[in-house]
Amino acid sequence: MLQMSWLIPLFPLLSFILLLLFRKSKSESTAWIGVLLTGISLVMSVGVFLAVWQGEGIKTEGTWFQIGERAITMGFEVNPLNALMLVIVSLVSFLVHLYSKGYMHGDERFPVFFAYLGLFSFAMLGLVVSPNLLQLYMFWELVGLGSFLLIGFYYFKPEAKAAAKKAFVMTRIGDVGLFIGMVLLFWQVGSFEYDEIFASVKNGDISSGMLTLTALCIFVGAVGKSGQLPLHTWLPDAMEGPTPVSALIHAATMVAAGVYLVAAMYPLFQASEAALTVVAVVGGLTAIFAASIGLMQKDIKRVLAYSTVSQLGYMMLALGASGYVAGIFHLTTHAFFKALLFLAAGSVIHAVHTQNIEEMGGLWKKLRITGPLFLIGALAISGVPLLSGFFSKDEILASTYADGKYGLFWLAVIAAFMTAFYMFRLFFLVFTGEARGNEKGVHESPSVMTFPMIVLGVLAVVAGYLNTTWFGTFLSDYLAQGPVELPHGDHHGPAWIPLVATLAAALGIGLAYLIYQKGTLSRDWITRSFPSLAEVIYNKWYIDEGYDQTVVKGTRGLSKLGVLFDRYVVDGLVTAVTNGVQGLSKIGSRLQNGQVQSYGTAAIFGIVILLLIVALTGGYFS
Amino acid sequence: MSSVPLTAYLMLALILFCIGLFGALTKRNAVIVLISIELMLNAVNINLVAFAKYSINPGLTGQIFSLFTITVAAAEAAVGLAILIALYRNRQTVNVDEMDTMKR
Amino acid sequence: MNAWLLSILIFSPLLGVLVLMFVPSNDEKSIKWLGVLGTLFPLGIALVVLSAFKMGGEGLQLTEKFSWISYEVFQSKGQVSYPIFYEVGVNGLSMVLILLTAVVSVLAAIASFSIKQNWKSYFILFFLLEMGMLGVFAAQNLFLFFIFFEITLIPMFFLIGRWGYLEKEKAAYSFLIYNGVGSAILLIVFVALFMKTGTMNFEQLAYTFSLPQAELNQLFITKGFKMGMLIALLVAFAVKLPVFPLHSWMVRVHVQAPPAIVMIHSGILLKIGAYGVIVFGAGMFPDQFKSLAFVIGLFGVINLLYGAFLALTQTDVKRVLAYSSVSHMGIVLIGLAAGNEFGMTGAVFQVVSHGLISALLFFLVGALYERSGSSELSAFGGVAKRMPILAGVFLAGGLASLGLPGMSGFISEFMAFLGLFEKMPVLAAVGTLGLILTAVYVLRAVLAITFGAEKELHEARDLTSSERVPAFVLLAAILFIGIYPAWLSDMLRPTLDAILLGLGG
Repeated sequence: MLQMSWLIPLFPLLSFILLLLFRKSKSESTAWIGVLLTGISLVMSVGVFLAVWQGEGIKTEGTWFQIGERAITMGFEVNPLNALMLVIVSLVSFLVHLYSKGYMHGDERFPVFFAYLGLFSFAMLGLVVSPNLLQLYMFWELVGLGSFLLIGFYYFKPEAKAAAKKAFVMTRIGDVGLFIGMVLLFWQVGSFEYDEIFASVKNGDISSGMLTLTALCIFVGAVGKSGQLPLHTWLPDAMEGPTPVSALIHAATMVAAGVYLVAAMYPLFQASEAALTVVAVVGGLTAIFAASIGLMQKDIKRVLAYSTVSQLGYMMLALGASGYVAGIFHLTTHAFFKALLFLAAGSVIHAVHTQNIEEMGGLWKKLRITGPLFLIGALAISGVPLLSGFFSKDEILASTYADGKYGLFWLAVIAAFMTAFYMFRLFFLVFTGEARGNEKGVHESPSVMTFPMIVLGVLAVVAGYLNTTWFGTFLSDYLAQGPVELPHGDHHGPAWIPLVATLAAALGIGLAYLIYQKGTLSRDWITRSFPSLAEVIYNKWYIDEGYDQTVVKGTRGLSKLGVLFDRYVVDGLVTAVTNGVQGLSKIGSRLQNGQVQSYGTAAIFGIVILLLIVALTGGYFS
Repeated sequence: MSSVPLTAYLMLALILFCIGLFGALTKRNAVIVLISIELMLNAVNINLVAFAKYSINPGLTGQIFSLFTITVAAAEAAVGLAILIALYRNRQTVNVDEMDTMKR
Repeated sequence: MNAWLLSILIFSPLLGVLVLMFVPSNDEKSIKWLGVLGTLFPLGIALVVLSAFKMGGEGLQLTEKFSWISYEVFQSKGQVSYPIFYEVGVNGLSMVLILLTAVVSVLAAIASFSIKQNWKSYFILFFLLEMGMLGVFAAQNLFLFFIFFEITLIPMFFLIGRWGYLEKEKAAYSFLIYNGVGSAILLIVFVALFMKTGTMNFEQLAYTFSLPQAELNQLFITKGFKMGMLIALLVAFAVKLPVFPLHSWMVRVHVQAPPAIVMIHSGILLKIGAYGVIVFGAGMFPDQFKSLAFVIGLFGVINLLYGAFLALTQTDVKRVLAYSSVSHMGIVLIGLAAGNEFGMTGAVFQVVSHGLISALLFFLVGALYERSGSSELSAFGGVAKRMPILAGVFLAGGLASLGLPGMSGFISEFMAFLGLFEKMPVLAAVGTLGLILTAVYVLRAVLAITFGAEKELHEARDLTSSERVPAFVLLAAILFIGIYPAWLSDMLRPTLDAILLGLGG
């Protein structure tokens, strides 16, 4: 089984190629190509996962090309971490393929959409099985391409165009960081291989300053991809893409790639206390910052997007606080419940054709399947006990506390409270109360859409039992087989932590209930009490505007300056030279006046001078 | 007869040549320019004859050569005058400084 | 057969000229098809040469050498004869560039179907140009190199000046003047080298300059002389490459020349500059080259960033691409400055990859111009709707240009930077800013054309089948090199290893 695991990414690639050939097909059964091929990948991934569960692993590499004496290699590797990722990615991809069959019904470029999904799945699976940094980087960029194409799928919409461009450029900024880190590591270690890098780190071949520098550079890449502060702004804009895309790429898989990267390079980070602290601080700040923005958004997908950013911050926080298992655990559970939430949101959008939550309401009765599933997702993400989010979030809080990062711990608790609040604000506004918009002809989505949601719904509940103190820490035992030496085992902090987390969730839900369901508290009492703060939060802390004013304007200004420089200085110098030559030749041409007599005079003078020289020097010219 | 030294002839020729050169380069009237050129040619003739007479082994070569020059000068004057007349027909002037077609 | 193979290859485009002589000049269709056939013939021979070329073989292959001109000079040490040979040969580097030339020429000939007038003289000049380019890469001595180098200039001048766009004359003149100055410097250098060493052969020159200084002193070759020669050579080729601040002619040519000619120009002619720097600069004066490495790297980064910044706000897609060429040539310099195996290989990869990518992009811009009569970004929008294939290939070309993995641009960027990071990490880190800017300007231009609301074009037909050939062939080549770079790197390795040996690793 394991020898065949390199085939896993290739099936979606095949789907991409086939579907591009069927690009013009009007038949929507082309979707089955994608579904079938990702299905095969899923089955194989599960097989691989089970094999790895038994303690197996594989790594195979071959020379890709050779430069001088060094060979650049390509290959594949299966270890516990990426076997888990394989399952998550191929599962969500498969479900999203299925869901899209219903969601994209009637779209003009139906096969193209599935082709792009295939391309993305290929890249993401390829990223996961990469055994070295270079290969990871290549697929890293390719997932960016897949994301770019899918965000810009509605290419005729100016917003989609801008969002696609923004996503590509913002992640590119991060990618350059990763690139620098990778190259610096190469010159330290002499290889891109994870194993050799880790061996060097362990042997102390790399100076501590260099360790921190490279780890931070690599982390910059993760920041870009995972939408962490300060490169998060592309992720909410990426919601311009079709909703299944948001579920697959911008919730479950690609954005988690940043977390995966940090996890995959964990020994490097472990070697540098400073790098880990930076990771934790960035993660913690992102968690609360994004959660605060999520409080006031009106677009259902944007709320979820900010929630994604915030949850990714959680994962980073966990990794930064030595909670390796906690981070991966949350990645897993989050993939399920966030994909569920997005798909459910897609189902809602599919039904009411708007994304503005102010125009929804009272959908609980009309969407009998979507509603409860959304509720499950919301409960899970809020950290309500017995659902998956509770366990993983609890573990993150515990490891943060155990690591002694108390400030970040309390930040995370507040973020958990906010999460619960905005999720239930969303839930109450969308599903309860009176219909505020035009909801005629609203109907439940077809079963091809509800089935994936049900699967995810089940997973969102049970995935939490992968790693609990009550039933067994399967996940951490499993991950312990991997190359990463797990940090100190005591990440089960004091017993009051789950209570605090539950309390925060309950407070958030309760507050949302009071405001949006009961109406006990006026909806705008915060807005009224702190108008300026609300204004700032509503405008997303003016980050976008800030970037526009500084970076974008600055770059454009520099460019304009460059154009002027090119025109007046570079070209001006050239013009000056040509003018000079022309002036000289004008003087020269004035001598040519057409008068034979003046020519004769010149000739006579010339000959006289020559004769004089000859006479004075005695016949020699030098 | 031999009391006149070679230098005297050469001096005469030099003066004549310079007068001719000056005339050819400065006069505006084309006829005078032509005449000046004749002067220069004649200066050359004097030189030729003088050297023929005073060289180490005197001979007739120089004198014969000067005859050639006179012939050529005559032909040249004829051609020159013919060009002048043609020019005059076209442009109603024989002023040299108005002939600047070489500029174009 | 093999003994003459290279000469046959070099002069094979002349067959096309010969055949065209007998075709009436108003017979548009047969002239155009003969034009394509006439470039296919050299391509065929180039493939024969490739098959005769031993992959990974060291040194020159398929060499030919005939005595040509010889003259004798009396000097203090007696009568010295200065022979000039006709000598050609290929190594891995020139083989790659010859192949590139042959391929791009065919595709440019197909792209020339859009030429509207004077087809006969166009294709005759086109063939002469191709001959010049093939000769430049095959020549093995300075004299021959210079002759072929000049042969490329003259047809190019007419091709720009006669068949270009609105300001074609100005562009043609600035092309000629800049390159004339460049080749004047080149000539002076060549003559100086010849007079000092008495040979014009590349290998002998390289050998002579690698002698210990004591022996060189007998030839009156000082370190200063070497340095001076190297700087002069670098300046001469900097005009061609082009390097900031000598780039303005190239922008003008890219904007004004007909698209097919720009394909050739930015695809191959600019590469002569890179080839020259590698063969003459690094190959003959390795020590001096190494001491100038920082300056070269600095100019590389300046080129990279300057081109990228200027490309950001251009409104004409041709100008965007022109400045992007400036920027991409910076990567060649960066790779050369690194002076290690990664950098050198990266530089050559960039030469090839940029040749393919810019040929593709300019071809598509030409196709767009055909359909709209404009190359302003604002004239386009939503091209993807009516012309999905054109838009798709254009997007793919743009992505290749910004260095997406899986395409050739990535390999070259990656290796050039990898190389530079070993030697000058800070400079390289500054240079990576260019990678971000490249993404910004490429996406800006490509998306402005393909995405967004649809704008009316006076003719909205997708790529025709004759247009698909160049587009798909180039795209396939870009992908091939991006996915399987070993093919190219194996071919280059012996040549570059020899040069690197001189550079001392």
